[in-house]
Amino acid sequence: MKELSEVLKDWEAVIGLEIHTELTTLETKMFCNCKNTHDAKPNANVCPVCLGLPGALPVPNKRAIESIVKAGLATNCEVQKHSMFYRKHYFYPDMAKNFQTTQGPVAFCMHGHLDLEVTGRGAAERPECAFGAAEAQSLASASANAVGLSTAMATQMREGSHGGALAGMSGYNTANLALPERHEDGSYTVPIRILRIHMEEDAAKMVHVGGEEGRIAAASESLIDYNRCGTPLIELVTEPDLRTPEEARLFMEKLRRIFLTLGISDCSMEHGSMRCDGNVSLRRRGETKLGTKTELKNLNSFKALHDGLAYEICRQAEVLEEGGIIYQETRHWEPGRKRTVVMRVKETADDYRLFPDPDLAPFDLSDEFIAHCAAEIPELPDAKRDRYETAFGIKRADAEQIAGDPETAAFFEASAEGLSGKPAQAVANLIVNELAAYLKGVEGGITDCGIAPAQVASLAKLLAEDAISSNQAHEVFGLMAESGEDPEKIVDERGMRQVSDAGALQPIVDEVLERCADQAQQYRDGNQKVLGFLVGQCMKESRGQGNPKLFNELLRASLS
Amino acid sequence: MAQYIDTLSAARIAAGIKAGEFSAREVAQASLDAIAAREDAVQAFLQVCPELALAAADRVDAARAAGGELPPLAGVPFAIKDNMNLVGTRTTCASRMLENYESVYTATCVQRMLDAGCVPVGKANMDEFAFGSTTDSSAFHPTHNPWDTERVPGGSSGGSAAAVAAGEVPLALGSDTGGSIRQPAALCGVVGMKPTYGAVSRYGVVAFGSSLDQVGPFGRTVEDVALAMNALTGAGKDPYDGTSQDCPVDFCEHLNDPIEGRRVGIIPAFMEAEGLTPEMRAAVEAAARELENQGAELVEVDLPHLDAAIAAYYVIGPAEAFSNLARFDGIRYGYQEPDCANLDAQSSLSRAHGFGPEAKRRQMLGAYLLSSGVYDKYYYAAQKARTLITADYASAYERCDVILMPSSPRTAWRHGEISDPTQMYLADLYTISINIAGNGGVSVPLGLGADSGLPVASQLVGPAFKDRTMLMFARALERGLTDAATGAPALSVAPAFAGKGGELA
Repeated sequence: MKELSEVLKDWEAVIGLEIHTELTTLETKMFCNCKNTHDAKPNANVCPVCLGLPGALPVPNKRAIESIVKAGLATNCEVQKHSMFYRKHYFYPDMAKNFQTTQGPVAFCMHGHLDLEVTGRGAAERPECAFGAAEAQSLASASANAVGLSTAMATQMREGSHGGALAGMSGYNTANLALPERHEDGSYTVPIRILRIHMEEDAAKMVHVGGEEGRIAAASESLIDYNRCGTPLIELVTEPDLRTPEEARLFMEKLRRIFLTLGISDCSMEHGSMRCDGNVSLRRRGETKLGTKTELKNLNSFKALHDGLAYEICRQAEVLEEGGIIYQETRHWEPGRKRTVVMRVKETADDYRLFPDPDLAPFDLSDEFIAHCAAEIPELPDAKRDRYETAFGIKRADAEQIAGDPETAAFFEASAEGLSGKPAQAVANLIVNELAAYLKGVEGGITDCGIAPAQVASLAKLLAEDAISSNQAHEVFGLMAESGEDPEKIVDERGMRQVSDAGALQPIVDEVLERCADQAQQYRDGNQKVLGFLVGQCMKESRGQGNPKLFNELLRASLS
Repeated sequence: MAQYIDTLSAARIAAGIKAGEFSAREVAQASLDAIAAREDAVQAFLQVCPELALAAADRVDAARAAGGELPPLAGVPFAIKDNMNLVGTRTTCASRMLENYESVYTATCVQRMLDAGCVPVGKANMDEFAFGSTTDSSAFHPTHNPWDTERVPGGSSGGSAAAVAAGEVPLALGSDTGGSIRQPAALCGVVGMKPTYGAVSRYGVVAFGSSLDQVGPFGRTVEDVALAMNALTGAGKDPYDGTSQDCPVDFCEHLNDPIEGRRVGIIPAFMEAEGLTPEMRAAVEAAARELENQGAELVEVDLPHLDAAIAAYYVIGPAEAFSNLARFDGIRYGYQEPDCANLDAQSSLSRAHGFGPEAKRRQMLGAYLLSSGVYDKYYYAAQKARTLITADYASAYERCDVILMPSSPRTAWRHGEISDPTQMYLADLYTISINIAGNGGVSVPLGLGADSGLPVASQLVGPAFKDRTMLMFARALERGLTDAATGAPALSVAPAFAGKGGELA
């Protein structure tokens, strides 16, 4: 198979995502008062409603509606005041009623968008030919088929026949959507349109015992845990505006940061509270007709999302280039074997017999309700990133990473309070590097790991004053995490303060140059690399306390 | 002189228990005795629950002994249609599919009757999953009309109507999706009311057509029905049913108000409809004259889209039924086909063998009507018709307080007399449009037909949530037909059963 970069020169990948997010932070399920928890014993949190017992009726969870309205507002969607629940029928034991309560043509949130900033190596995935006029044509021709491509429910949504009900679906306000332009450093910003976010209930969890990798084939028995049945779930469907696996990954990351900030879900891809299916098709560059798409499942990490799509794009290209045809099918990503395999072929569209749920009255959201939801939306990651960049003067990439996680952001703000420039950046560096690494090795999160913002602030000041080196900072971080002591005290007690006095360091430099005359000569002969070795020797000689930057300067001066 | 349970109204029983004339246990036992003596001939019940009944009665007696205030219907026995859950009973919907299904919770409507002091004596027979107008489609046995046991009691709440008409209980609950309370009430000569949609909770009542189903009471007097309505709605809307609404009225208040000066609508097309028998027509005309005599004004009203009602009903009803009955797949509960090779076979065969023919017919119809490409033509058209019919009624009520019409085009027919399902569907002509519009309706017995000697009746229907006004007119009719000398209502218990068992000790 060709490499992705080769494939994307000739082929345009058209990618749309369907992202399911369980509203894990709600106390109760979507249509009943059962507890909405992940860790209970199987079938502990069930009642007549979520078990679909005869005569049971659903009552919508108002908090869930608040959550989806917030999700819509935070992703630039138009919140629909009038929408309703539909029943989607299919016979399978994971749905106790044999229909799923979901939404129809009009979802609570329609027609939003998120702007992706694509930087670094990932930006190179989009080839030069995918900018400018070509991209304008690409977007226009993809959106014309948007519904058909991006959602399996499309065939059930009889556009036009519902008349007034579809008035809210008139389309996007695309005036503020800019086409991507590549900057000198290769980065670009691209708007990704969101078709809809609708509300539905999750199905029960099935555990297949005895089969390979928990799959149903060859399983000797199937167990059903209805705890998850009826969990509030929101499904976001993008337009097929994504063109590279990197963009898909970034979209998912960005969405996750927004949902985390809204506090509507724990967004765990690992535990399945945030799940992503990818739809992808290929077409020759310049072609306006869409190719046949496949749907990818089991993309349960950011890496899986990227790698699964990348593999599938290359696979499709190979099939097409060999004159084969792509079948509309659902494929399973196998991360271990790094390949996708067929799950099922969709020969005909399933007939879900979608119709309005007569047990649930249509919604008529008031302006007050929507305003109340809007008022509860905290500062979103993009705004927070921009503020960190300007108010604290830290690097955009660090600001982005910190702002994306609400707890990390709160920790940063507490640590960097009153700081800006060098010490604030030092705080950011410590959080992004030291703290993140430390948290991987301990139980608990940032709020209960035992490290206080004041400690990080103090350590950052030492760094910013060049009182310690970054290597020393790493050591001090470990010590302060262990002891809970203030870094100043640790540094003083252990005599770790960095020496930044040229007068004190020059003798060390002289001594090293005398001892390492060969290397000194190499440097003079033009081998710049050897300077690092000499700095290392000086550091060793000073028992780690000399300022490495100053050693560097002094060495250069002495050797010139 | 011996006193029999079947001569006492619910109001009279509750008053007698309060006054210490008889105990709740005596009443419950009398009801159980009457059932024992009459069931062979009537077969109104699928289950009788003496232990639950006597325990509930003993609680009433204990409360009275303790000097506490008794709830309004304390000690009144009642029958429950077998599509309503009651813990301690099976809820079978008269289907093999649920033959052994034990209720794991209690329906709100049943609970509210219990809270009002009522004593549950058993689960009443019905058409399977409420699909039918005869109760003959019960998977277990037919129920016989107490006025002529060769004949059907109507349906689908035929067991509830027959139990009241046979004097086994003074009150019963039924459910009405297209006439399933009002039609059997008419055929059995009792009062049967379908309240406005949303007035009574549907939680715990096995759904047939969710947008059409409504629970309501049967009784032998209008006052008893009003008392039951108070019990069903008094606690306000049910938090477990998102379609239920507050209905904050006392149904007994104003029940005996004069109707002088009020207007009663008559739909000429209904009085001329093909299939309306002369005796039924005569009965409704006599009722119109009676209301006129009491000072009401008769006005003709027109419902231009009424023709579409039956067609709309037989789209919306089966579509919702298909969806509601999808859950019966034999996996978690209900009939499970043994020895199946795989999941598909198990749910297909469980459904094939668990459901009777009418239940299958309606679900297949619904599955077809909702399928891709067909939906627009039928379901969407039916919803439009529904909007028009609802608007027709609303504009008719600008000209009148209630509308008087037949409940059923004819009196009770013999078992097996109508075998063509579409002919059977037409028998619902007078009841269906009320479910389509979501308004209330009550069938009032008007004595015996001149030709058949069987009960005849008429129906009063009213605007949404004006059910009390409707009952006021029903009471006016009842008053007009009450024997002035004895004070007995026009019809009480079917004579073949009067005084058979059920003596109060």
